[in-house]
Amino acid sequence: MKMEEMSLSGLDNSKLEAIAQEIYADLVEDSCLGFCFEVHRAVKCGYFFLDDTDPDSMKDFEIVDQPGLDIFGQVFNQWKSKECVCPNCSRSIAASRFAPHLEKCLGMGRNSSRIANRRIANSNNMNKSESDQEDNDDINDNDWSYGSEKKAKKRKSDKLWYLPFQNPNSPRRSKSLKHKNGELSNSDPFKYNNSTGISYETLGPDELRNLLTTQCGVISEHTKKMCTRSLRCPQHTDEQRRAVRIYFLGPSAILPEVESSLDNDSFDMTDSQALISRLQWDGSSDLSPSDSGSSKTSENQGWGLGTNSSESRKTKKKKSHLSLVGTASSLGSNKKKKPKPPAPPTPSIYDDIN
Amino acid sequence: MVVSKMNKDAQMRAAINQKLIETGERERLKELLRAKLIECGWKDQLKAHCKEVIKEKGLEHVTVDDLVAEITPKGRALVPDSVKKELLQRIRTFLAQHASL
Repeated sequence: MKMEEMSLSGLDNSKLEAIAQEIYADLVEDSCLGFCFEVHRAVKCGYFFLDDTDPDSMKDFEIVDQPGLDIFGQVFNQWKSKECVCPNCSRSIAASRFAPHLEKCLGMGRNSSRIANRRIANSNNMNKSESDQEDNDDINDNDWSYGSEKKAKKRKSDKLWYLPFQNPNSPRRSKSLKHKNGELSNSDPFKYNNSTGISYETLGPDELRNLLTTQCGVISEHTKKMCTRSLRCPQHTDEQRRAVRIYFLGPSAILPEVESSLDNDSFDMTDSQALISRLQWDGSSDLSPSDSGSSKTSENQGWGLGTNSSESRKTKKKKSHLSLVGTASSLGSNKKKKPKPPAPPTPSIYDDIN
Repeated sequence: MVVSKMNKDAQMRAAINQKLIETGERERLKELLRAKLIECGWKDQLKAHCKEVIKEKGLEHVTVDDLVAEITPKGRALVPDSVKKELLQRIRTFLAQHASL
């Protein structure tokens, strides 16, 4: 303490300045020395040159700036060809279609609840309406397939083409032809044009009668052609159908259901066999709905005669007090399915065909 | 007489250095200088110079002495004036405080 006071007291400004410079030089030298140690250690440990790379690799990893390429020089729309496997239904779906598919597949969103509602409605209507069901199934299939809308449209137009007649090449069609033993020559599918209706002027009376027992037949105001849908077609009312039948077949021609209900006791063996197979179809309704629906229609064609859905519905409404007397005993176990037995064909039509 | 004065000078410097270390001012100044030098890019400049030197000598033959000999003059020269002035000012105020005691 004493020494310090002594030393500092005798200093003039120039001396202080010199000391300050000295201290500064000391500090800078310290920093330089520290830096030198740092660098030396980095060199000896081998990490001194790590932070800079050689120009070759710099060129390799340059950022690419070209149209159509990402910054790494890769083509960036490669994902288009990628496919994902749906975890729910394990189909493989194009990546771009995967999200919409998943939404439907997992049953989320507005649209799929609509589908679900429709499906519930279908299962309720299963026994009532065949044509509606077929249409709905078609729509459903389109919704559930992950294909593009184009596909759906194509399918629809296809359907339109062969819906009235069934596909002539399908096994079902050939089966139904076999059923008839080749008797039904006048309903050759190729005879009709492929449009949605049939021009009734070209038909003979037999054809007309046959048509009117299997198809709706209401004449459109616009196209002047006959509706080729089933007898239960939702576009036209029963009134319209009745009017057309009266127009073509005369007032004596009644809608088949009346005749059919009179006729039920006269089942022959082939009829009841077919009926049994029919009921089996109904029993296995947990098959895919479109399958069962189309098979039913094809079978209807196979009967080719008075059987149709409107009939069966009517008979159902009548609580089957007439038409089901004959079948009730043999098929008692199937009570619930019974509302739908195919009514036997009208004798007059049998006569026509034979 | 001269020798005694030299002795006195040396004693005085030693005393000041002692004071700098004791009060922790030296450490504070050092930290300030390091921060300022990094801030103004002195370190990066010096590093670039180091690289040249090391490449010249070869990675295996670098010694601390070589580096110090090469780097220190450069380092001293590269310190910016503003940093130098600020530091000197800090030192002077320190000296003035302790001279007045």
